[in-house]
Amino acid sequence: MSIVLAWIVLLPLCSFVLLGAMYLFSITQRRIEQRYFTFVALFSPAVVFVLGLAALRELMLRGHALHYRAYVWLHVGDYRIDMGFLGDKLSLFMVFFITLVSGLIHLYATSYMNKDEGYGKFFAYFHLFTACMLLLVLADGPLMLFIGWEGVGLCSYLLIGFYYQNNANVVAGNKAFIVNRVGDLGFLIGLAMLFFYGQSHDFSYETLALHIGAVPSEILTGIAVALFVGAMGKSAQIPLYVWLPDAMAGPTPVSALIHAATMVTAGVYMVARFHFLYDLVPHVGIFIAYIGALSAFFAALIATKQSDIKKILAYSTMSQLGYMFVSVGLGAYDSALFHVFTHAFFKALLFMGAGAVIVALHHEQDIFKMGEMRRVMPVTYATMLIATLAISGIPPFAGFFSKDEILSVAFGSGHYELWLIGTVTAVLSSYYMFRLFFVVFEGTHASHSEVHDVDWVMKAPLIVLAVGATFAGFLGLPELFGGKHLIGEWLASWRREAFHLSHVVEEILIALNVVAALLGIAIAYRKFRFYDRRVAYKPEGIVYRKFYVDELYDVLFVQSIQRLSRFIAETMDKKLVDRVVMGMSRGFVAAGTRIAWVQNASVRLYAFIMIAGIGAASCYLLAVLR
Amino acid sequence: MIALGCIALGAVLLMLLSAMPKVRMEHCSLFAFVTLLIGLILTLTSFGELFTFFPLPKFFHKMLIVDSYSVYFDAIILSGALVTSLIGTHYFQTKRHFKKEFFSLFLFSVFGMMLLVHASELLSAFIALEIASLSLYVMIGFQKVHDKRVEASFQYLVLGSLAGIFFLLGSAFVYAGLGTTILGEMGNRLDTLMGKDVSLVIIGATLILVTFLFKISAFPFQNWTIDVYDGSSLPVSAFMAATFKVAIFGFILRLMLVDFDPIRDTWDTLFIVVIIATLLYGSFLAIIQKSLKRMLAASSIVHTGYLLIAFVSIGYAGESAASSIIYYLVAYFLSAMGAFGLISYIAADEHVRVTYEDFRGFAHVHPYMAAMLSVFMLSLAGIPSTIGFVGKFYIFTGAIEAGYTFLAVCGVVATFVSVYYYFKLIALMYFYPACDSDWKDVPSLKGITPLTIGLIALAIIWGGIGNTFIAYFPGVDFLIDTARLSYMSLFIK
Repeated sequence: MSIVLAWIVLLPLCSFVLLGAMYLFSITQRRIEQRYFTFVALFSPAVVFVLGLAALRELMLRGHALHYRAYVWLHVGDYRIDMGFLGDKLSLFMVFFITLVSGLIHLYATSYMNKDEGYGKFFAYFHLFTACMLLLVLADGPLMLFIGWEGVGLCSYLLIGFYYQNNANVVAGNKAFIVNRVGDLGFLIGLAMLFFYGQSHDFSYETLALHIGAVPSEILTGIAVALFVGAMGKSAQIPLYVWLPDAMAGPTPVSALIHAATMVTAGVYMVARFHFLYDLVPHVGIFIAYIGALSAFFAALIATKQSDIKKILAYSTMSQLGYMFVSVGLGAYDSALFHVFTHAFFKALLFMGAGAVIVALHHEQDIFKMGEMRRVMPVTYATMLIATLAISGIPPFAGFFSKDEILSVAFGSGHYELWLIGTVTAVLSSYYMFRLFFVVFEGTHASHSEVHDVDWVMKAPLIVLAVGATFAGFLGLPELFGGKHLIGEWLASWRREAFHLSHVVEEILIALNVVAALLGIAIAYRKFRFYDRRVAYKPEGIVYRKFYVDELYDVLFVQSIQRLSRFIAETMDKKLVDRVVMGMSRGFVAAGTRIAWVQNASVRLYAFIMIAGIGAASCYLLAVLR
Repeated sequence: MIALGCIALGAVLLMLLSAMPKVRMEHCSLFAFVTLLIGLILTLTSFGELFTFFPLPKFFHKMLIVDSYSVYFDAIILSGALVTSLIGTHYFQTKRHFKKEFFSLFLFSVFGMMLLVHASELLSAFIALEIASLSLYVMIGFQKVHDKRVEASFQYLVLGSLAGIFFLLGSAFVYAGLGTTILGEMGNRLDTLMGKDVSLVIIGATLILVTFLFKISAFPFQNWTIDVYDGSSLPVSAFMAATFKVAIFGFILRLMLVDFDPIRDTWDTLFIVVIIATLLYGSFLAIIQKSLKRMLAASSIVHTGYLLIAFVSIGYAGESAASSIIYYLVAYFLSAMGAFGLISYIAADEHVRVTYEDFRGFAHVHPYMAAMLSVFMLSLAGIPSTIGFVGKFYIFTGAIEAGYTFLAVCGVVATFVSVYYYFKLIALMYFYPACDSDWKDVPSLKGITPLTIGLIALAIIWGGIGNTFIAYFPGVDFLIDTARLSYMSLFIK
């Protein structure tokens, strides 16, 4: 029965191959109608979702993790690496919401990408992405996780540059890929160290967890940091976050699925997966938490001044990911995953709502050119409102519970500065989100020509997600409200230590959070509720310019490396290497020409040389045999 | 053993047949091919088994031996001859100066080579060597009207005879020292004489080595190589370069491993000098050649140098060195055969000298042929993923294991230089626009010859990648394992 785990990965892979083949056939041979693509594109995620549920049920029935070994991948001496899949509470939890959200986004995308030339290609990539993401989650060892890790990176690259005709998209894709490469290098180093020091007979989490205690603690610190560098890249944390805003160049469903709901949370998942390692090095955890908190604050600050709707959402994603890292850093992996879970709903919803608006306005992305959209698209308006409330942390919407939990963890752990940063960030979050919301949906004096509402295929997923964004939080209802923390129970083994706060403190914290959120909303309301579209908005300043980090990186890394390359190419190579090599070859040719005089086809000379050689050999023998 | 008889019978029959006016060239060619094929099949029946015996002891006493070792070499020689006849098909048919007797001589030379690896006695080895050589002399000079051919044939004859003399002289010395010329027994006698004066044996063995070094064209007996290879027609050069060397090594390895093992240390310094000189001389000559054929001839001297590196390593890492020689012989045989064969296929009559310049921009006109030629060049240069790399890898690691790191370094440097003259062809073919000389006279890729060459190219890549892709299919491991097996059969008492 655990073979179902393999099928969860294999099925999207098969449909990827099928869609790819269909697409190639369609562009080279005979056109295939779009509905056939649609059928495959929707059939596979639906089945995968059901398979995920089946696996979940099996897990509940059995009570212990499912494990499926497909085959032995590598076998060297006693050492073996299996193609194995692990379905424990963590991975199946991930599978559950990944397949759910991904299915809805697939449905949405069939409308969003409608009539697009690359319709088939888009879904082929999408399915490849799904397969890789599920492999990443279901892998039973770091090596297979790495396959998925690189696979999702590749798909992200392919989909960011989906409209490759526009050079800016290609540049954005490259940027994402290259920045991730920096992170992946760290990840690889971490894996290599883990491989080297975790001497045993295989390379699965299970065995690693058993043997990790034997590794010296300095090495463990190194491994933990190196692996986290990988997470920094994938989950867009300081300093490797610069690719995420640019990645919004991809089609909006891509941003919703890959750059909001699933792929970017891979870093959080990875740290949670390696919790046996991170539990042993709490000081690295503190470091992670600080990186997370700083990223959260920094991204929220930048988001307050942006005007591109998708970029605001991108920075908000980064900010929310920061919260998650605060939580994993402090050892509360379950709280982080709870936030991953709720975030997937409301962030996907936000992106898809934004996508709907963008489609309605014929691919306009500047929020200050929108306005009064509530009249045109009421459903989107309502669902977006729910999502915005959820991300701002207004009860009872999903984001409130998970964010509140993270902040209580930060407070309970005694790192009050982390809590403070988190709370300030919460103010900023609700501010920039409502700023976006007011400008896009409210405002006055908008005059749009030819605005149309989107069709129901796009709206239906919005509604489903809105339900999720409203109620997902109740799965993690804190005890304070007399609820049962279902997710906390489910992921009970993913918590390093429990932080006990008295109910009074907890109540105060909740109150503070709500106040913080309301404060942000109030400021946004004052500034943007009656935003007049006729007044040109010209954002300026260092915040709008994203603190010039891109420019700084450009000068520090890109240009200096280019200068170095130029030096090597033009000076070292031409003047040093070429000269030496050419000089040597000329010398050889000259020597060859000189030697060739004995090669003059004179048999007498040849015979003479032979005899001379034998003479020399005789002399040698004389010397030896004496 | 039956294979040997089969080839001999085929040679005699073919000689008689070719006197009949009704029999045409094509028939003779086919007959030779079928004979070789039967021989190869007969050989392969006992391939990969471990055994040794003396055939017909009443007639031959212990002059001949049949063991896994000789069978392995038989297989290489026969497949070499087979490939030569396949590759040559086109050449022999377009060039009308070949007569029917040519194929008979061809079979005789194959017979001589096989006899050489079966020889278990110095004089029978000499007879075998002369059968092979004499046939080759005639084959080289077959095109009587062409001065170059005759000159090459004559040069080879004179110098070869000169070298042959030393073999006889050496045998006499060895006989004087040991009282026997039978392999195996010589070794036993030598063992009993250990600690006494064995100067006579050493002198004799050194003289025998002279012939050996001459035939494999090592310094200072290498001068004939370029002239003779250049002078002979291309398939014959291919045959000489690839197959004859295999047979010579087959015999000399047996001699060294079984009999002269106790006195081998004497030659260490001598060999080191010879190797370095051979590598240097070959590299220098190859680098300045303008004709491809001469370049291949010169580079065959360099390959002799590599083989000799493995040869001196035998003393310290016998098994791996011996099997690396055998493996390298296969690798070189494939690469050289392919290169010579393809060039002979491309060259029409007007291009007597096929130069580098003639290949300028060749890839744009004939991409497949250029690709195959590149594969051969890559393999000769020993670039990874070709069989040539694996061969060199075994040789150099063997040398380092045996403590001859310096020789390995020399070999690597020579390889480095060889990239120059091998890649020059690839660069010319690919990186320049097509030259003026149009390649319309180049035959298209049809028929048995290009098919064979293509298969060789695939085999080269296969040998380089080995069993990586399809398990349980004979690749590198299989070849090296059987080479080990054949080595072991030498020491069955």
